[in-house]
Amino acid sequence: MLHYYILLPFLAALLIGLSAKKVNRIHTGWLVLPVPVVLFIIFCSKLPVLAKGKIVQSTADWIPSLDIQLSFYLDGLSMLFSLLITGIGSLVVLYSIFYLSRKEQLVHFYVYLLLFMGSMLGVVLSDNVFVLYTFWEFTSISSFLLIGFWFYRERSTYGALKSMLVTVFGGLSMLGALILLSITAETNSIRMMIANRSDILESDLFIPILILLLLGAFTKSAQFPFHSWLPDAMEAPTPVSAYLHSATMVKAGLYLVARFSLIFSGTDEFFIIVSGIGLITLCLGSFLASRQTDLKGILAYSTISQLGMIMAMLGFGTGVAILAAIFHIFNHATFKGSLFMIAGIVDHETGTRDIRRLGGLYTFMPISATLAFIGAFSMAGVPLPIFNGFLSKEMFFDSSLKLEQSAGLAGTFAEWIPIFAVLGSIFTFVYSMYLVFGTFLGKQKIDQLEKKPHEAPIGMLLSPIILIIFVIAVGLLPNLINEPLLAPAVAAVTGDLPHTHLAFWHGLNTPFYMSLIVIGVGALLAYTLKRWQPVYNKIPGKFSSDHWYQTMVNGLLRTSKSITGFYMTGSLRLYLSIILVFLVVSTSIFMYFTDGFTISFDDLAPVTWPEVLVGFVMAAAAIATIWMNQRIAAIIVIGVVGYGLSLLFVFFRAPDLALTQLIVETITVALFLLCFAHLPKLKKSDKSKSEKLIDLMIAVSTGALLTIVAIASHSSKSFDSIAKYFVDNSYKLGGGDNIVNVILVDFRGLDTLFEIAVLGLAALGIFAMIKYRDKGDMNQ
Amino acid sequence: MEIVMSILAGTLFAAGVYLLLQKQLLKIVLGTALLSHGAHLFILTMGKLNRGAPPILEKGITEYTDPLPQALILTSIVISFGVTSFLLVLAYRTYQSNKTDMMDQLRGTDDE
Amino acid sequence: MMSNLVFLPIFIPLFVGALLVFFNKKHQLTMKISYLTVFLNLGVSIYLSYYVFKNNPLILETGGWKAPYGIILVADKLSVIMILSVNVIALAAVIFASSSVTSKMVQHYFYPLFLLLIAGVSGAFLTGDLFNLFVFFEVLLMASYGLIIIGGSKHQFRESVKYILLNLFSSILFVTTVAFLYSVTGTVNMAQLGERVAEVEQQGILTGIGILLFVVFATKGALFPLYFWLPKSYIVPSPVVSALFGALLTKVGVYSMLRVYTLIFSHKLELTHTFFIWVASITMLIGVIGALSTSNVKLIIAYNIMPAIGFMLLGIGTFSAESLAGTIYYLVHDMAIKAALFFLAGLLVWHAGTSNLNKMGGYIKTSPLLGWMFFIAALVLAGIPPFSGFIGKYLLLRGAFDEEHYFAAGIGLLSSLLILFSVIRIFIGAFWGEIKEKPKEKVRRSGLAASGLLIAISILLGVGAEWFYPYIQSAADSLIDPQIYIDFVLKE
Repeated sequence: MLHYYILLPFLAALLIGLSAKKVNRIHTGWLVLPVPVVLFIIFCSKLPVLAKGKIVQSTADWIPSLDIQLSFYLDGLSMLFSLLITGIGSLVVLYSIFYLSRKEQLVHFYVYLLLFMGSMLGVVLSDNVFVLYTFWEFTSISSFLLIGFWFYRERSTYGALKSMLVTVFGGLSMLGALILLSITAETNSIRMMIANRSDILESDLFIPILILLLLGAFTKSAQFPFHSWLPDAMEAPTPVSAYLHSATMVKAGLYLVARFSLIFSGTDEFFIIVSGIGLITLCLGSFLASRQTDLKGILAYSTISQLGMIMAMLGFGTGVAILAAIFHIFNHATFKGSLFMIAGIVDHETGTRDIRRLGGLYTFMPISATLAFIGAFSMAGVPLPIFNGFLSKEMFFDSSLKLEQSAGLAGTFAEWIPIFAVLGSIFTFVYSMYLVFGTFLGKQKIDQLEKKPHEAPIGMLLSPIILIIFVIAVGLLPNLINEPLLAPAVAAVTGDLPHTHLAFWHGLNTPFYMSLIVIGVGALLAYTLKRWQPVYNKIPGKFSSDHWYQTMVNGLLRTSKSITGFYMTGSLRLYLSIILVFLVVSTSIFMYFTDGFTISFDDLAPVTWPEVLVGFVMAAAAIATIWMNQRIAAIIVIGVVGYGLSLLFVFFRAPDLALTQLIVETITVALFLLCFAHLPKLKKSDKSKSEKLIDLMIAVSTGALLTIVAIASHSSKSFDSIAKYFVDNSYKLGGGDNIVNVILVDFRGLDTLFEIAVLGLAALGIFAMIKYRDKGDMNQ
Repeated sequence: MEIVMSILAGTLFAAGVYLLLQKQLLKIVLGTALLSHGAHLFILTMGKLNRGAPPILEKGITEYTDPLPQALILTSIVISFGVTSFLLVLAYRTYQSNKTDMMDQLRGTDDE
Repeated sequence: MMSNLVFLPIFIPLFVGALLVFFNKKHQLTMKISYLTVFLNLGVSIYLSYYVFKNNPLILETGGWKAPYGIILVADKLSVIMILSVNVIALAAVIFASSSVTSKMVQHYFYPLFLLLIAGVSGAFLTGDLFNLFVFFEVLLMASYGLIIIGGSKHQFRESVKYILLNLFSSILFVTTVAFLYSVTGTVNMAQLGERVAEVEQQGILTGIGILLFVVFATKGALFPLYFWLPKSYIVPSPVVSALFGALLTKVGVYSMLRVYTLIFSHKLELTHTFFIWVASITMLIGVIGALSTSNVKLIIAYNIMPAIGFMLLGIGTFSAESLAGTIYYLVHDMAIKAALFFLAGLLVWHAGTSNLNKMGGYIKTSPLLGWMFFIAALVLAGIPPFSGFIGKYLLLRGAFDEEHYFAAGIGLLSSLLILFSVIRIFIGAFWGEIKEKPKEKVRRSGLAASGLLIAISILLGVGAEWFYPYIQSAADSLIDPQIYIDFVLKE
């Protein structure tokens, strides 16, 4: 059945794409809304099955010959993501109905959104790695289209291209990893790979596989140093930011790491890379968030930082860390989703998202403000039992402290990790406060706004309200979702079902003191933000990830131009020289290494002087053409070579050839004469000496090479020629005395037929060229 | 003799290649003519030279030179003739439309 | 009797093409006859493929002369796959031509030249004789010479001179190399060449000759560093001609390599095929870098020919059943998508009135269908699943990884990204953004139909891979074991 769940959004996209232009009495969103709602209900109905420790699975044929099968399974981890995709999806669609005006290209918007929804479900439900990859790339593509939704804006197209390049780069790395995994583990199924994990761990390619796979995860989840696409992706309509770029798609990287944890987790490499990058991203993202002036920019950096934190916990790999990670994935989706929606409301109702022009909005939009405060406090980890974010943050501290008990590198670095955790959390507190206080409290700046702010319509508030209800409910009663949702997800990542009771109060332990430090220092920094904010301007722009990206892309384009300009000069001489040099060098090298050259003086025809003399004259004439600057002289020497050749044909007992060569040579010479009359006179070469020398070297080496190959070929005749058959059967079967003629018209008649075709074509082309001129079309 | 002829054919090739690398279209076309001659001589040499009678059956003669290369050369001569003629007319038309017969003035740019 | 069927895909276009020479003033008539011919030829090739896959390969002994003495045409699995693809492209080309070819072009023998090009390409795919392959090369080249100058503009003449000279040189080299090979082996029949080269284990000069032949095919097939003549000469003719060139001509080179380096020169793999892998890697990278260097839309597409050829050579170099299947899959895919992209680029340039990307913008509003087709074609080209490019790329990369050619596989992945970048730039630049200049003309419907047909085929080749892959794999399996081909042709 899982196929149909994934198929449903695609089908809906198709139907809406085809029909919605006709149904224009209602907002297209209403037609779309049932899709995620129905799917959400269906997935919820499977919760009891999973709680029993079972999984749901189904398989259908796609390309069985390549073992690329549509096999899907729903376990705890997939369930968590599926519920987020469909649940947040429902709320986002609902919100978008009020957010997006009907003047927008709604059909496009919802088609992209549904494509994304289906692909994302595909990512989290696939068992076959290549099916997963397929859906993975499709999430990138739908994200590209959604970011570029307002395609006429330059910032949108910039952001869209950037996100595509970064995520497809990661996707292709991941493809490399998946192919290597599939070769190493001899299966395309994730579950089978996990079963064969020892093959992977013992493989020489373990490190490359790990790095390539993580590149996929890090780019998708906007980890350092690939994070800079996410802020630029904020050009997408806000519902998209809330959905793809905070709650779901950016978590695909986390999903990937979690999914493959059973293979990689516990190795030092996995720990150091995943935790290291995660912690750096956490600190950097949270630090940079307070620099932003765009509300969505703050939220984007906040998302980067929070994803880093979850990534770090996945890297820790301990049971408590995984539980915290899973819990935080859920919590982040709730509070960040609602905050994005509020940012959208502010934008919608005031006409700006620039925090410098906002302030004191509490009076105008109290409901939104209240929701925002709850969301932000939960994000900051304010220790009250109504904030789910506090619970998972405490667990994060706890897990960072418990690393001491781990073996390997995790134990070695254990002392340092809590410091990073606290540092990141301090800045998280700072930007959370900066966000809500700056927007809703403080001085009112209504005169700077495009329109007079007022509270959003209830339809728009509905979705954030529902999310905030989750924030509070889970904050109060975390165990409500622990057993049915979190525990099976953790089991899917670690292999063991955890029996942890989530609680608000654990006594006065270290994590609590850490929280106190965070709040104390954080509050101080937040209060004095205005005074130290100039620090940000001291950071040179060249350290920013966006700067790297631009440097790379521009550098790539510039380098491409110069590399290509270097050889694409349009000069025939250069093209030919390169071909000739390649010809000479590669053939010589190969002949050298295969002992290709042989020379044998057996079985040679005796050297007779008339032939040699003719040959000598021909050679002299051929070389002489080079200096011929008189047209008539050039024709004479070329004629000498041609007629000399027919003489040689006579000597070498090829009467037909001699005759043909004679005729052809005569016609060619006539043609040359005709053409020469219309072409300018021959000029002396104005090339420099070195150019001439290069030409000479190329020419001589080409001639020498072919001579050598010819001699070697002649000296290594190893088989009887098929020609004997022609001699024997020319008369008997072919009915002719002239063997060459019999070959041409009979044995190899096909050659002759198409040789005539070539002549005909040449005639056609010549005729067209000349006729064209006669029509007077020349003077264009 | 085969070796001598191989060297001769190689020389024709070398001269042809040298002309091919020149700037003036006409010289290049002359070069292609030399190249074809060289190629045909190579083909002939690759059968054996001067063995037996010309490949026209006669009573009492059992040894003939290899007829196959001759047949191949005939085909090739005719084809080269077609191509050369076409090339000559094209050279003329190119000169007419571009007002030059120097290859270094026939380069072109990306933006056309 | 069935074996005469093999000649039909060559004969039908040859015959009709020759006939149409005399009707060059009758635009409608020649167009309709060409339509009929292409349909007929497609029908024949479908039946031929059906027959070959159902029963066994077919051999036509022309003039009744047995191999290796006479020239034989061999319709084995690989050949019929190629023939079928050629005729699908031909169909798309006549559809595109019906609105884009002017009466003047018809007068200049567009249709006869087009049909003879098809005849020549088909002949190259079917022949079992190396010298005859040269003859068919000349047929298709001569037809292409005629096609490239139709229109008679300054830069067409300029570029076609270079195009012809380079091809002329490689043809001369080709025929010389055939002679060398004949000297050593005493035959020009490909099966017998395979047999005899195997017998002496490709000793002595044979590898050298093999490399000479590689240079010939690589010049036609556009491999680094031999392709420099290609991009600019492919963009000067009318879009339908560019599409035919891009889709067919280079592929003849690839096909020839595929044939020759599996059947004949496959006994010094560690030398020759390793060399191929290096050439392939560099071609993939430098080719796509070319595509990033310009803002001429047609040129971007033309440069993208090279990385594709690099991918195909990678499969030949890797030389496993899997990678050869990848090469064939990629070959078929690339024919369809390259033709489609040349069509689309042509339509776009007509629409915009310029080929300079910097002067375009916002055309998604004026021609959404063209824009979305371009978008999908870009994804197909970059090998995004589930489209056709992915299946070939997957097999090739898998093959390369499996044989531990990690560097080449890495380049393959990187170039996929750059390919996507190079074509998505066109989509963003031409279709997104604000309209800078008003469109010059409406997009022609038959042009869209032709591109749509090819894109639909690309999607089908990917999504419905299971319907095609087994055939392609079995064609590859018969390549990896040349004895099958040899025994079949030289059976006594």
